[in-house]
Amino acid sequence: MSGMLRTLVGAVLAGGLLMAAPVAHAQVESGPWTSYSPTFTVQERGCGDVADLTFRLTCSTASGDQRAERRYATYTGGTRQFEGSFRITSLGGTRISLKQTFNDSTPGPYFMLAVERGGRLYAVHGGATVATGATVGATVRVNTVHAVGSQHRTYINGSLRHTYASPGGSFYDKFGAYRTNSGQGPATVVWSGIRFWRK
Amino acid sequence: MSRPVPVLVLLLAACLVGCGQEERQRLTATLTSPTDVSLVWEAEPGAVGQVVEYANVPDGDYTVLEFVPPDRTSYEHPDLIPQTEFYYRVRSFHGPASATVDVTLPPGDEVPESDGHAWAEPVTGPSGASPVRSADAGLPDLSAEIKHANGILFTWTDRFEGEEGYLLEVRPSGAAHFSVAAQLDPDVRSFGLITLPTEKNATYRVRAYYYGAATNVAHQKTGDTA
Repeated sequence: MSGMLRTLVGAVLAGGLLMAAPVAHAQVESGPWTSYSPTFTVQERGCGDVADLTFRLTCSTASGDQRAERRYATYTGGTRQFEGSFRITSLGGTRISLKQTFNDSTPGPYFMLAVERGGRLYAVHGGATVATGATVGATVRVNTVHAVGSQHRTYINGSLRHTYASPGGSFYDKFGAYRTNSGQGPATVVWSGIRFWRK
Repeated sequence: MSRPVPVLVLLLAACLVGCGQEERQRLTATLTSPTDVSLVWEAEPGAVGQVVEYANVPDGDYTVLEFVPPDRTSYEHPDLIPQTEFYYRVRSFHGPASATVDVTLPPGDEVPESDGHAWAEPVTGPSGASPVRSADAGLPDLSAEIKHANGILFTWTDRFEGEEGYLLEVRPSGAAHFSVAAQLDPDVRSFGLITLPTEKNATYRVRAYYYGAATNVAHQKTGDTA
C-alpha cells in the first residue's frame, strides 16, 4: 500500500513537473536567447578518430598534431552561448584539450579547456585550475558565454570557474579531444547535449 | 457506505510509513546569495553513499555534482550562473563492495610513450546472474596489476545483474575516506586507472551500485551578480 501511495504521489509529481516544463532545453543567464545550429566540420589528425560525438586519440604519441574535434562555424560580434556535456570514458594520457574557443582574427586558441590525468580541468593559457572532478565516467557540463569584445565566461557544472577578457573579432567553437603541446593520448571522450544560442 | 473508512485507514497507515520516509529524504535549496545555493537534506539510513545532482530544467538531464558519504547532509553550490533556474535532487546508492586492495606504485611520474594503454580501456563482459539488490548477491572480487609508475589495471568478476554500474573507489594513504576515482558502466569487469600524484600509496575497492530513494526536487532561480 505504501508502494501504491508512493506511485500515486510520484505520478502526481511527474504530471506537475511535465506541466511545469515548457521547453526541452535551458539556456542559462538572462536572455532573450535565440537557439541556432551552426555548421561544423570534423577534424581528424594523427591518431585522432571521430565517430559522431565520440572523440578518440588512439596513440600515446607526445608530439605532432593529434586531434579529434568538431570545428564549428565562425561568428563575429554579439553574445554566444555553448552548452555541452563531456564524459571521459578512458584516459591513458594527460593534458588533453576538450573545448576551445578559437580566435580566428589573431589567429589562435583564445580559450582552451583541458584535462590532466586524474580529472583536473585547467585553462591551457595561464594554467589556472578551472575545476576538479572530471574523473573517468563522470559527466561534466560545460557552458561558455562569450560576449565578443567584452568577456568570455566558463561555467563547469553550473558554477563560474573562469573569466577572460575578450577582444573583438571573429571566433569559433571547437570540442573533442586534442593533444596539447605538453600532453599525450590516448583518450576517449564522449560529448552529449550540444546546444548553441545567440543574442 | 462502510468501505471508505478502511481505505482511509489504510491510506493513513501508508502515509505514516511512506510519508515518513519521504520526509526523512526532504531536500531544501536556499539562496545564500544571489548566485550561491545551499542544499540540506536528510540522509537515508542504510545507504552506502549519496549522489548530489542538478539540472536547469526539472525533467532535464541531471548532472552529478558529487558523490558524498552516507552521513553527509549538506552541499554548497557556489558562483552559479545568474538569472538561471536550478533544480536539485539527492539520490542514495547501495551495493556490494569488494575487499580492499593496497597498491604501492613505483617512483616516477612519466607515462612511457611506448605504452598505448589499450589495457586501460574499460572491458565489458556478459552480465552476471546474481541480482545486485539481493541480500546474498555476494561481493565482487578484485585484483590489481601495476602497469607502470602511474597505471594500475583492475580486474574483477562481474557476477551481478541489474547494477547501475561500478564505482572504483580510492583512499590515498592518510586519507580518512574513500572517494570515487572512476564511474563505470554496467557489466564492466576490467579498467585501467591512471593515478594522481597523491595516490602512490593507496587502497582501492570496486562497488557494484544501484540507486535507492531520491529526495524531492528542490528549485531555486539565481539572481543577478553583485
